[in-house]
Amino acid sequence: MEKIPYPKAVDYSRYEGEAHAYEAKYGLPSEVRFCVRCVISNQRPNSAVEYKHVKESKKQTINLDEEGVCDACRFAEKKRAEIDWEERERQLVALCDKHRSKDGSYDCIVPGSGGKDSFYASHILRNKYGMHPLTVTWAPHIYTEWGWKNFQRWIHAGHDNLLFTPNGRVHRLLTRLAVDNLFHPFQPFMLGQKFLAPKMALLHKIPLVFFGENEAEYGNPISDTESSKRDWSYFTAADQSKVSLGGVSVHDLKQYFGLEQQDLIPYLPADPYQIEAQKVEVHYLGYYLKWHPQSCYYYAVEHGGFQASPERTPGTYSKYNSIDDRIDDFHYYTTGIKFGIGRATYDAAQEIRSGDITREEGVALVKRFDHEFPERFAEEIFQYLSIPEKEFPQASKMFEQPYMTREYFMALADNFRSPHLWKWEDGQWKLRHAVWHSEHLPK
Amino acid sequence: MSNLRIIPRLDIKGPNLIKGIQLEGLRVMGDPQKFAIRYYEAGADELIFIDIVASLYGRNNLSDIVRRAADQVFIPITVGGGIRSVDDARHILRSGADKVAINTAAIARPELITEIARRFGSQAMVLSIEAKQVAAGKWEAYTDNGRERTGLDVLEWALRGVELGAGEILLTSVDREGTRRGFDIDLIRQVSDAVPVPVIASGGMGSLGHFIQAATEGHADAVSMADVLHYNRIGLHEIREAGRQAGLAVRVL
Repeated sequence: MEKIPYPKAVDYSRYEGEAHAYEAKYGLPSEVRFCVRCVISNQRPNSAVEYKHVKESKKQTINLDEEGVCDACRFAEKKRAEIDWEERERQLVALCDKHRSKDGSYDCIVPGSGGKDSFYASHILRNKYGMHPLTVTWAPHIYTEWGWKNFQRWIHAGHDNLLFTPNGRVHRLLTRLAVDNLFHPFQPFMLGQKFLAPKMALLHKIPLVFFGENEAEYGNPISDTESSKRDWSYFTAADQSKVSLGGVSVHDLKQYFGLEQQDLIPYLPADPYQIEAQKVEVHYLGYYLKWHPQSCYYYAVEHGGFQASPERTPGTYSKYNSIDDRIDDFHYYTTGIKFGIGRATYDAAQEIRSGDITREEGVALVKRFDHEFPERFAEEIFQYLSIPEKEFPQASKMFEQPYMTREYFMALADNFRSPHLWKWEDGQWKLRHAVWHSEHLPK
Repeated sequence: MSNLRIIPRLDIKGPNLIKGIQLEGLRVMGDPQKFAIRYYEAGADELIFIDIVASLYGRNNLSDIVRRAADQVFIPITVGGGIRSVDDARHILRSGADKVAINTAAIARPELITEIARRFGSQAMVLSIEAKQVAAGKWEAYTDNGRERTGLDVLEWALRGVELGAGEILLTSVDREGTRRGFDIDLIRQVSDAVPVPVIASGGMGSLGHFIQAATEGHADAVSMADVLHYNRIGLHEIREAGRQAGLAVRVL
């Protein structure tokens, strides 16, 4: 395997003038369109099976129908108008009745960070539906102070919790690889987060797992919402040789980066045969209960003293969601680079669909906050992403420059910009298409 | 001693009365006019209207809401949100407001406080402060509806604001706002004891005890409340009666 090179300077001429359709990266649609109801664009990738994610992967993106409405907005409409929530709740009660333990042992697993959504899920399962949840947490890369406090508040609101914290060195290395290869600093976290609960279900012989809302609430194919069960492909794999982490195969991680099998355990999906044998069921609570993030926030404040973060998150206006991890700011910054979609777009789209803000307000928020560089934790994150020889004697040799610097990160960012989204004009990067450009506003 | 004023606070976004928790997760409550009339008829001493997203969106559209309210509500009205100039203040006062409350623009350009006080009088210039605790006995002023840090110490900023001409301070605890856990008494007392102008305590009222505490322990001159009224948890009459029974100088209706 070749060393990971210092990102080369981009050829700005490819980004000047008009876009060329053939230059759309990642299999993104070459024509940029925005949903006429919310602010999401057709460049938004659907959830991927992350362990198959490599440099060359092509993205499936959100569907906009002939009226220009995205699947997530259609699903929000369906939540309001079509779904019989009373019937769905009866189904939940039946599911709980089937699994509820008689002897007080754990009868379900609720994964989460202790943010507003997992707070709501575990607390309502315990207190309203009489379940005995074991909560499991895959630790953030670097906790924010308020994220850690909210996590404590969650536990102290009446839950047992298993906090799994992956080996810091391995996690840093995989995160660095995910940044260099995929510009996706959140990938190792997402892998662990998706796999932990089913694997804990196997380990502790607890056959029921509740995730919160279905990803289709945010744009995965609407057909995903027709089942309460989570697709196995997200959390199981029969053949380890097909797994890549940070865009590097398991084989290469061991051969070139000094990792051992033990280091990889947390990042490997569950074995589907075991899941089948132990009859583990993975459900979305959001299938049964009408999910509303803002209400989860209210619920978490009311029942556990959950606190919003003390300042808005860079790239957005919001203070109440996804606030646990210091690297999170960078996750959204990178999606902004790759797909033209920053944090404010995600937050505003969700709040528009829930009816909490108008589209006009959403557009203003996106214009003001999207693509803001996440300055507050930047130096700390660059340190975190550095692979010094002293700590990584073998892996550091695989990087032309083991240290992550701001210059390195920004050069890398430029390499991940798709010319159909970004143009280089007057010495700076500009979006070719933004939701606040008048042609994208609904008539 | 002047009366302890009871002031419903109506936070506005677009055409709607809204309510959040810690100024976040804003929920649409309904038509502000209906709430304003209801509180006026129930004996509120004053009303506060704040367009809480005016700075966020760089807009200001309270004048219609204020004009409608002033037609039917005959108690002093304070209006805040998006007032960035003497002209903005004049416009909102002409619409029927009695006082303007300013936060973000005053921090951006403190001379605005003096300009408005000189033009319309100190009694019409309310300095709005969004305070977030940073350590024991220490608070930082925030702008943009509790979203942006400023690095300003609340106590120092309050004193400076009064020096510049503010005639009243609307003091909101971001930590307590919408939580119903009670006012940040330490904050209110520190500011009330330090400045020579009236202080309106805001953020956190969940019970009658909290109201009394704000006056007796916090030394507030006025108490503002939103959640308990909007959600019909406590009535204005009950609040006034509790104040009277506690020996506080509330207005007798």
